[in-house]
Amino acid sequence: MAYNFSPDSEPTTRTLLRQVLDTAVPRTPRRARSTRSGAQRDLLETPSSRRQRSQTKMTARRRSHTATSVDRLARVQASGHLEEQTPRTLLKNIILTAPESSIVMPEAVVKLVPSPQVVQPSRRKSSRGSLELQLPELEPPTTLAPGLLAPGRRKQRLRLSEFQQGMDWGHLSQEPRENADASSLTSSLNLTFAMPLQPQSVKRPGLARRPPTRRVVDVGTFLQDLRDTSLTVAPPDTVLEDTQPFSQPLAGHSPSVHHSLPCPSPSGAKEVEGAASRRTRSSGPGLQNSCPGKPAQLLARKMEEVEAIAMGLPNTSSVSGEDGIEPLQNGVGEEAEESMEESMSVREVEKAAEEQGSARAEEPEGHTEVAAAAGSLGAIEAKEPEGSSEDEDTSGRLASPELPPSTPEFLRTRRLQFPEPAPPPSTAVLPSELPKHLSARIPPRPRIPGSRPRQDPNKAGLNHYAKLFSFYAKMPMEKKAEEMVEKCLDKYFQHLCNDLEVFAAHAGRKTVRPEDLELLLRRQGLVTDQVSLHVLVERHLPLEYRQLLIPCAFSGNSVFPSQ
Amino acid sequence: MMEEEEWSEEQQRFSYLQRLKAAVHYTVGCLCEEVASDKDMQFSKQTIAAISEVTFGQCENFAKDLEMFARHAKRSTINTEDVKLLARRSHSLLKYITEKNEDIAQLNLEKKAKKKKKLEDENRNSVESAEAGVEESEN
Repeated sequence: MAYNFSPDSEPTTRTLLRQVLDTAVPRTPRRARSTRSGAQRDLLETPSSRRQRSQTKMTARRRSHTATSVDRLARVQASGHLEEQTPRTLLKNIILTAPESSIVMPEAVVKLVPSPQVVQPSRRKSSRGSLELQLPELEPPTTLAPGLLAPGRRKQRLRLSEFQQGMDWGHLSQEPRENADASSLTSSLNLTFAMPLQPQSVKRPGLARRPPTRRVVDVGTFLQDLRDTSLTVAPPDTVLEDTQPFSQPLAGHSPSVHHSLPCPSPSGAKEVEGAASRRTRSSGPGLQNSCPGKPAQLLARKMEEVEAIAMGLPNTSSVSGEDGIEPLQNGVGEEAEESMEESMSVREVEKAAEEQGSARAEEPEGHTEVAAAAGSLGAIEAKEPEGSSEDEDTSGRLASPELPPSTPEFLRTRRLQFPEPAPPPSTAVLPSELPKHLSARIPPRPRIPGSRPRQDPNKAGLNHYAKLFSFYAKMPMEKKAEEMVEKCLDKYFQHLCNDLEVFAAHAGRKTVRPEDLELLLRRQGLVTDQVSLHVLVERHLPLEYRQLLIPCAFSGNSVFPSQ
Repeated sequence: MMEEEEWSEEQQRFSYLQRLKAAVHYTVGCLCEEVASDKDMQFSKQTIAAISEVTFGQCENFAKDLEMFARHAKRSTINTEDVKLLARRSHSLLKYITEKNEDIAQLNLEKKAKKKKKLEDENRNSVESAEAGVEESEN
């Protein structure tokens, strides 16, 4: 091309691209005009270019800039390039005008872009023979810089407000940094394309990560509780090393706690009583105060577990946030289960504490419908969220068969099947969470020793069936009704098994086989000519039993189960 | 044509059922009259009708059960054992049936014994006569 401009002091990509664009021959539909010699073009295009100039923004500005006639030529040429609305020219314009900001980098840099843009043209202006190039460069920055600056400023303003918000939030750790960054931004217009701000200070609403809202542990109340418990409770070692069943003072206390949620350890029991008394005085919100005594005491002993369960325990230490009690307690329950292997005794007590807490919590009903069913045992209702959360107790845990009428608990009994003497239903039910060894050592306080044999051993297993019944009834059930249900179930099962025996004998066998059961079901009307036994099996039994009962052909011509 | 046949068959079956039901109803009525004269208490018509319907339904059930029991024991004939199995629920009925069963069994035994004796006597007689004949002939 005619004009040769000296390269800038800093050959940036921008300038290089510009050079490429200028030097290369633009292949456009209007090539005829553009590829002509410069002189020709000048002659011809001057009027047209002028016209076109008027169309673009730059033309107006360019006119203002133009001074010398020497530049005119080049300017025309340059403008000629630009006037043709070709992709090339468009790209050139874009490169000239677009801010040098990337998606990744924050807007903070946007503000700085116009300034370098402004600076560069000025620099280029000084260089000789590069005026023609400068002109387009100049204008876009000048025209667009204010536009760019405005959003940048706006964004910066937004950022400041966000900073203020952050201050209000109290997430102080980030504040100083943010403030410093903000100050650095505002203060310096250095064209240092420094690293973008720290991620925390990026206040892009979409991308920024909201810091986890951790409830601040109220150290004051925590210590207070520690002090309280240490005063009232026996030395912590007793819980761990006391192998005696409930110590004497406990027996005296137990009757006083009618709705007591018995804790396995003596100290715990004392806590319970104190807590219960406190509880009776205080309303629901005050419940949390009673709770922390126990776990706080444990925490004093084993701080490691505190960390593990810190998530859940703050609910006990902090009086506020009662709405978070339930999920937190559940979380505690789950966490306690997870780290159960660490120390059983500690766990028991903690669990007992959780039970207390859950029992005292007032929103247990959200967990199971059985809460409604267990109308009679009001204090025990609260156990259900506890029960549901601890439904995954491992075998190490003991669940006494005597449980409040709630589904998860009878599930627990079934799983554990530990024939532990259970307290009479009227008394508390919480010892179901007690681990085996502890309950073995300590007969539950409110229970009368030997109460278990009073129950009919034949009906022992039907307890959970009755509870299942009451669960599905969706209505509160009286104890008598449950007993009746148990009796009926007993009779029913007796008849059932007698029939099976007779059927087997009728066929001259001594073993009951599936054919006998099919006969039984047929007599009951479940199996008909339309509905066969296999259909029922498929319908009601889980998949594992299906493959045991329904013969299926396997590879190698083998049929399982073998006929 | 097929449909007509089926329909007529059904009609026949239905009429058959009706006749059976009528028979049952009549029998129940007679029995109720006997009980009424015994207890000096009247039976309303609806009561008799209800009892007869229930009886009919129970007969159906019994039949099906008996068939099931027989099949369960891998037999094709219904036995007294099946009947006893059916009646096990009601103790008195079961007792009654067992007693009756025993009586019948005894009778059968006796009959069999008699028959055996007769046969033996006949045999002996025939043998004796034969021997006598032989002796006579020999003589």
